Amino acid sequence: MNNQVGQISIKALIALFFSVLICSNILNAQDGEKLFKQNCAVCHSAHTDQMSTGPGLKGVFDRVPKGDWITKWIINNEKLIKSGDAYATKIYAQYGKAAMTVFEGQLNEKDVEAILNYIKTPPVVVSAASGNTSADTSEPSEKTNGIDPLFLILGFIVVLIILLSSLRSVRTSLQNSNNRSEGIEEIPEQTFWKEVKAWLSGHRRLVGVFVIIISFIGMKSCWDACYNIGVYYDYKTQKGYKPEQPIKFSHKLHAGENEIACQYCHSSVEKSRHAGIPSVNICMNCHKAIQKGPQYGEKEIAKIYAANGFDPKTATYDNNIQNPLKWIKIHNLPDHVYFNHSQHVVVGKIECTTCHGNLKEMTVAEQKAPLTMKWCIECHRKTEVVMEGNAYYDRLHKALKEKYAGVQDVKFTVEKIGGLECGKCHY
Amino acid sequence: MSKKYWKGLPELNNSPEFQEQQKNEFAEAPPMDEFLSSSEAENSGTSRRDFLKLMGFTTAAVALAACETPVNRSIPYILKPEEITPGVANFYATTFYDGHDYANVLVKTREGRPIKIEGNDLKGIAHSGTNARVQASVLGLYDGARLRGPLLKGKEATWKTTDETTKASLSKGPIRILTSTIISPSSLAVIEEFKVKYPNTKHITYDSLSYNALTLANKNIFAKSVVSSYDFSMAKIVVGIACDFLGNWLSGEEFSKQYAKNRKVSKENPDMSQHFHFETTLSLTGANADYRYMVSPSELGKVTAALFNEVATATSNATVQANTKIENKEATQAIKKIAQKLVKHKGKSLVVSGLNDEGVQTLVNGINLMLENYGKSVDVENYLNLKQGNDSEFENLVTEMASGKVDTLITYNCNPVYTSPASLKFTEAYKKVKTKISFAQVLDETAQLADIVCPDNHYLESWGDANPEKNTYSLQQPTINQIFTQPRHEGTRQFQDSLLKWSDIKTDYLKYLQGYWNNQIFPLQGRFTDFPSFWANALHDGAIKVSIYKESTFVPIIVDSTGTPVMKGVASVFKTDSASSKPKVDLKNFVNNLKSTADLLPTSDYNLAAKKATSINGTKLELFVYEKVGIGNGNYSNNPWLIELPDPISKVTWDNYITMSPIDVKKMGINEMLRQDINGTIVELTVNGITIKAPVYPQPGQAPGTIGLAVGYGRSAETLKVANGVGVNAFPFLGMINGTIQPIATNVSINPTKETHQFAATQIQHTIMGREEFLLREVSLKEFKENDKEYWNPALELTVSGGKKNVNDVDLWAEHPRPGHKWGMSIDMNLCFGCGACVVACTSENNVAVVGKAEVAKTRDMHWLRIDRYYSSDVTKHNAQADGLLETKKMYIDMENPSANPKVTFQPMMCQHCNHAPCETVCPVLATSHSSEGLNMMTYNRCVGTRYCANNCPFKVRRFNWFNYNGNDMFADINPAQMELGRMVLNPDVVIRSRGVMEKCSMCQQKLQAGKLEAKKLGMPLKDGAVKTACQSACSTDAIIFGDLNDAESIVSKERKDERTYFLLEDVGIKPTTSYKVKVRNQDEQVIFHDQSFKKDSAHGEKHS
Repeated sequence: MNNQVGQISIKALIALFFSVLICSNILNAQDGEKLFKQNCAVCHSAHTDQMSTGPGLKGVFDRVPKGDWITKWIINNEKLIKSGDAYATKIYAQYGKAAMTVFEGQLNEKDVEAILNYIKTPPVVVSAASGNTSADTSEPSEKTNGIDPLFLILGFIVVLIILLSSLRSVRTSLQNSNNRSEGIEEIPEQTFWKEVKAWLSGHRRLVGVFVIIISFIGMKSCWDACYNIGVYYDYKTQKGYKPEQPIKFSHKLHAGENEIACQYCHSSVEKSRHAGIPSVNICMNCHKAIQKGPQYGEKEIAKIYAANGFDPKTATYDNNIQNPLKWIKIHNLPDHVYFNHSQHVVVGKIECTTCHGNLKEMTVAEQKAPLTMKWCIECHRKTEVVMEGNAYYDRLHKALKEKYAGVQDVKFTVEKIGGLECGKCHY
Repeated sequence: MSKKYWKGLPELNNSPEFQEQQKNEFAEAPPMDEFLSSSEAENSGTSRRDFLKLMGFTTAAVALAACETPVNRSIPYILKPEEITPGVANFYATTFYDGHDYANVLVKTREGRPIKIEGNDLKGIAHSGTNARVQASVLGLYDGARLRGPLLKGKEATWKTTDETTKASLSKGPIRILTSTIISPSSLAVIEEFKVKYPNTKHITYDSLSYNALTLANKNIFAKSVVSSYDFSMAKIVVGIACDFLGNWLSGEEFSKQYAKNRKVSKENPDMSQHFHFETTLSLTGANADYRYMVSPSELGKVTAALFNEVATATSNATVQANTKIENKEATQAIKKIAQKLVKHKGKSLVVSGLNDEGVQTLVNGINLMLENYGKSVDVENYLNLKQGNDSEFENLVTEMASGKVDTLITYNCNPVYTSPASLKFTEAYKKVKTKISFAQVLDETAQLADIVCPDNHYLESWGDANPEKNTYSLQQPTINQIFTQPRHEGTRQFQDSLLKWSDIKTDYLKYLQGYWNNQIFPLQGRFTDFPSFWANALHDGAIKVSIYKESTFVPIIVDSTGTPVMKGVASVFKTDSASSKPKVDLKNFVNNLKSTADLLPTSDYNLAAKKATSINGTKLELFVYEKVGIGNGNYSNNPWLIELPDPISKVTWDNYITMSPIDVKKMGINEMLRQDINGTIVELTVNGITIKAPVYPQPGQAPGTIGLAVGYGRSAETLKVANGVGVNAFPFLGMINGTIQPIATNVSINPTKETHQFAATQIQHTIMGREEFLLREVSLKEFKENDKEYWNPALELTVSGGKKNVNDVDLWAEHPRPGHKWGMSIDMNLCFGCGACVVACTSENNVAVVGKAEVAKTRDMHWLRIDRYYSSDVTKHNAQADGLLETKKMYIDMENPSANPKVTFQPMMCQHCNHAPCETVCPVLATSHSSEGLNMMTYNRCVGTRYCANNCPFKVRRFNWFNYNGNDMFADINPAQMELGRMVLNPDVVIRSRGVMEKCSMCQQKLQAGKLEAKKLGMPLKDGAVKTACQSACSTDAIIFGDLNDAESIVSKERKDERTYFLLEDVGIKPTTSYKVKVRNQDEQVIFHDQSFKKDSAHGEKHS
């Protein structure tokens, strides 16, 4: 009995040991993911071999010398190159002598280990998500070919009218020549409009049907047009405004596959009311080197160069060229609403995805939240304010605790601190 | 308290017609009957069917027009400047100086455009107060009238041809540079460089409103041609003689700040300065004086001489021989009393005069010497560099020009064609100059006549420096790139850059400035050891104080053959004092030998001065030309914010006018009594052979037998779209008297015409409905000291079942919890001098619309914050009875006099954010509601425009958008939001209100939210003072205090506990968030009269007399 217990406990201990090991590895990888995104993702893709500013890191461990070479390289590549390391000098020359950032002081060996662990861990592929994306990409192609049926009908009607009127005039002139020969009074020459009027009054039922059809088509196209410019949001499909941007920029590629952190481009999201559309110089941080995209090749990236006068061949800027990029704003709030990103991201600790959806899966950015006042208020009603650890709220928190003393399961939501008041957003 | 208060003369006279009119919502009834009864309506060809057709068409057209694709674009920078984060404001310290006002300011910029001016409140920096003009100056940057490139003979030219033409003409003959006072040492050095290249050059300084007498008097006595600095905080007794030191005189906001220090009274510290004032027109300073005496312009010198003699007698000094007889007996008696008080407060008093008369200023210096004020409240050692204009040099220049001796005249920062006195005939002389070069920013009256116009940058686009007083230097830095620049425009260029270019010095002004500071200012301090960090720090702070002051001689910059500087820096002189002449009074000696004062005063000089001071002979009607608090000398008269700012005294907007004593108006039989200050009779005013037509405005407080006229209006330059045609120009009426330009004219005549003129005045359309006890509380210092709070600030009680109760305990509504912040505001009526800076600051911060004269006249002004001005009379039924004037007829005759010289009370009035707000209960759509932080919120997009709230507001602070001011063509010329450039000034954090919507003070909600967010992000409690409302930060005297009442340590919480605190209309039970503090006047007479009929418990609008 005793022995049994002892055996079990040893097994349990071993199991525990391994599970801790595995867990720590996972933990390590999660930290590594964060670190990778903050420091490396701008230039390197972690799990593909796609070249961006720096090479893709798929299979990197097979390429590089074994041992702690890679750690040394990451922490201070400059030092390694200067030391005359053969592989270091080789890849430095191979990638056009473009220096990698020195992370000495920013990353310690433990951090590097976490990053390496993350690179080792293959990414989890969600099949449903990829299915979605394929549907997304196929969507725009539907519309590209073929003529709008409305134009076909309109053209048909125009042809009919022309045919009808010419036939009529032929008939009238024939009739008249006949009449002239027979000495009967001539049918007076009628104007086109009078004839149309006469015809219309003679075919009321037909006209009625046509009017109904045309007005339906008109209404439908109005509806579609409104949809296209983001006038309304489809609650059922959770889909909204999805305009075509001047550059076919893919969040899926940048934030998804290349894992660039949102804040890298939308840098003012923690400082300002605006998240900020990246200025062209931010694009150039990477696209000075990456001159070819996976899908559109050089075509789309060339638009960035056209904006700031960069010549990829000579890698020089023409300062006289300034053609700002005119992105189409997707998330439009009315002018009479004040919204502040930093309030929600820094103070409220809300994730970007909560309102913007998973942009990592979007080839074309799309409005994923209705942005109606109802939607704002619903969220303010149920979201708890992060009061702990923020000294600003201390007094208010105390007062609220006193006020709701004895109330079960009370949540200090945004509503409770006055977040539904008109003057908090409208001024 | 049954003092009689009134807003305007119609209310004082209270005719039945006026009463009837007050019952109406609108000043004028909508002309419905007229419209319906007109025969045109019947004869009109438009039938009902036509109407419906048009209506249908219009609806369809509107629906179609709305179909435009609303695609919003986000256009990011190509290369984002590092310091700019879209949506976050940056602040830059810089210097405001336009030759007239000086201020150290902070400029708020958003996405690179300046949108708001704040005072630079860095500790130890003087001149941080901003007046209305400084606040409004940011709009001047976006003035559409600004020139976009140089003009040659009125035609657009390039800088290249302009420079060539200019250089060709400069080499010919005598050159004169005419400027207003330049306080920038480096700019003076640049002028010296110019003189090196063109030796036949002379620089003449001329101020449109001259202060020359101050320098002349100081030269007389101290052998220093400087303007003394003043410290009103050192003075317990202040005597002003036609000196608007709280408004425009020298450095009004700085003086207000000092003066306010002695006006802050509490039970713990009941000491307060006493202020006596002699003047002709009712100025802002006179309105704040404890005792004010009306004297005609010719007698002002006599008052000074009389005061000199009384003080001399009391200090056993020699008196002067002069005719000191003045008509106002009250003033004569007062002078003796004042002299005694002054002598009693030797060393703690101050006498100032705003008269630009050498004699008067010499006497004033003598009085201050006898009172031992030098080195204390007035300081000639630490002088000001402002106002260095020399009138006689200017006069000589005009003579020179008239005789054709001047080949080239360069004008900078001045507009003499508009501002010079008619008697000098400047315009004729100007036309005789061969080459006329102007640096005007707009095509003003002088630039219109100039041959070459080289538009200067706006101060917000400029580099520069300033040396406003001896030991203070400040820097000016651009807060925006030049707005008018290549390739779209030929562009503007700084004055200094142009001069350097013409002097063949190939360096830009910034480099020159840095070199100057490196060589000249850097050695004066000991804090920094290397220039780059000194420069960076000075730029950051905006201003520095130096410990050493050194006057150096000018050494020209050394340039090589190509004109490039070879030496690192430059050196120049700023001021050369006539050291050769021996001072008549050696101050150091004087202070050390107090006993021998009589010996040190050279009596003969004072006799001469007194003779000069009293030389103007009085006539039947005399003119005093004054400067308005808003428009000033007219530098900014094209600024719609300033032109719509109601004059703090008359409350008139968009106008200048002849002010006259109401008694004189009545005597002349002009201005019908009903609404006499809304419709003014136009009269012909003749001064020295010049006749103009202007309307008459009856102004209580104006000395009888005198008229006043403000400068700054009557602009004739066509490009000044806002200012052109508003009012008349008063500058021509200035006269050369005793060698200086004085704003006085005698032998004036006026002839009434049959025409009338409509004024657009605010406030006086309303009445106070006999509620003065609940609106205005004031007390004399004597009563304040002798009695407890119950006497002068009684709590209001209400009789309910069960006895009397405090009004606040009787309530219809339940209290609401305020768990977080509870905002509160406290306004000290003792510290509000009515300068109006807060009104402009509010307009600027909150995108308040400018509506124009016609709309203001219909009581549709949009100001969220106004400063109510109340007149009050000392003689009431009660003290008439006390004086034994029981005989009714005599009493009422006596009661008529005070309306001639009333006491004035200023009360800033904005939404009181009542906790039980009457407006909230009547809104049918809940567009106005209350926040958990105690603010009354207005939701514009919910408002349907019933205007019930405005009707139910007891303070009449709600403003209705009758038009889409930001889009309607009617307002295109005056509303900045409609101007191509003007709209750049709008605050992007505040929504632009549309038509049909009610708006009002939000307590700067956007600033509160931003301040809270900042604290939340830092994870720290919100500090008191971290959030300031626009009006609060604009107030130089801290009359407005805002903060969190839930924070026991906040200043506003402490103010609430002060005994002087009271709430307006508390009796109605509205529980305002804003409290006021009882005004204390330092006078010995009784102010409060608790009479039999005054019962504290029966409030609610019943009239008590």
